[in-house]
Amino acid sequence: MSAFKKLYKIVAQIAILTAVSWFGTYLTGRFGWPVPGNIVGMLFMVLLLQTRVIRLEWVETGGSWLLGNMLLFFVPAAVGIIQYQQLMVTSGGRILLVIVLSTVAVMVCTGVVVDRLARVRERGGSGNA
Amino acid sequence: MLNIGTVGLSAMGLVLTVAVFVAAKRIYTRVPLLFLSPLLVVPAALVLILSTTGVTYGEYLVGAKWISHLLGPATVAFAIPIYKNLPLLRKYALEIGLSAVLGSATALLSSVLPALWLHLSPETATSLAPRSVTTPVAMDISRSIGGVPTMTAVFVIVTALVGVMAGPAVIRWLQIRTPVARGALFGTGAHAAGTARAFEFGDVEGTVASLSMIAAAGATLVLTPVLWPLIGG
Repeated sequence: MSAFKKLYKIVAQIAILTAVSWFGTYLTGRFGWPVPGNIVGMLFMVLLLQTRVIRLEWVETGGSWLLGNMLLFFVPAAVGIIQYQQLMVTSGGRILLVIVLSTVAVMVCTGVVVDRLARVRERGGSGNA
Repeated sequence: MLNIGTVGLSAMGLVLTVAVFVAAKRIYTRVPLLFLSPLLVVPAALVLILSTTGVTYGEYLVGAKWISHLLGPATVAFAIPIYKNLPLLRKYALEIGLSAVLGSATALLSSVLPALWLHLSPETATSLAPRSVTTPVAMDISRSIGGVPTMTAVFVIVTALVGVMAGPAVIRWLQIRTPVARGALFGTGAHAAGTARAFEFGDVEGTVASLSMIAAAGATLVLTPVLWPLIGG
C-alpha cells in the first residue's frame, strides 16, 4: 500500500512539473522566444517556489525521481546513432578525438580560472575580516 | 519480421528501453566499472537488439518517444536544487557566471575548428558545436544553426562519458583544490553526468556543478548566435 502511495505521489508530482514545462513551451511558442520552453519552465518554477505559489513538498519527491533517472530519458535519442552507422565507420575516430580534445580544453580552462578567482576572493575576504 | 501490430509496436520501444535500463543499472551497482556505465551500455545494447531484429529506429521511437517526453519535466525539476541552494548561487555567482561564459566559448571554438581541420563534414561540425550542454538545449541549438539534432544528442552523450573520465584526471594534474572550481569544471564540461560525478566529491561541488550546467546552457544559447558567424558557420 505504501509503495502504491509513493508511486501515486511521484506520478502526481511529475504531472505538476509537466504542466509547468508545457506552460514554458506555450510561452516560447506564443511570443517566439529563441529559448527552449523547458528552460523557461525551469526559471518559472524557481519563481513559483520562491513566491510559495508551489510548495517544495508538492514537487520534491517526483523531482528527485526525475533527476535520479535522468539518464533513461536520454536513451531514445542516443539510440539514434543507429541512423549514422556509415558516418561512424568513416568519421567515428575523428569525431571522438574532437570531443576528447574539446572536453578537456573546457575543463582545464574553467577549472584553472575559477580556482584562481576563488582563491583570490577567499584571501580578499579573510584579509578584510 | 513478424507483424506485431500497432499496440505491440507502441509498447515494444517503451518496455524494451526500460527493461534494458533497469538491468544495466543493476549490473553497474554490483560491478561499478566505467565501461559498464548505463550511459554507454544501454544505447549500445539497444542498437544491437534493433539491428539484429530488423526493427527500424522509427518503429522503435513509436513507443520510446514517451520516455524522451520526460526530459521536459526533468529539466523543470532542476528548479528544485536551484531553489534550495539560492544562497550558494549568490555566493558563487561570479565564479559560476565566468565559468559558463568562458566554458561555452571554449567548447564552441574547440569543437568546430578542429572538426573542420580534420575535414569532418560541415553537417558534422555544426552538430558538434553545442555538444557540451545538456541534451534538450543542445538539440534546440543544433536545430537553430542547421545541425542534425539526433546527431548532436549522440555527441552530448559521448561528451558526458569523456567528461566523467577526464574530470578527476584534470583535477589531479592541475591540482584544482577549491570545491567551487571542481564543481564548475564538471558542470560546464560534462553537464548532467558531470554533475552526478561532482556530487561524489561533495555537496558544494555537486551543487555548484548543477548550477554551472544550467548557466552554461544559458551562456551557450546566447553566445552561439553571436560567435557562429565569426567561425564561418
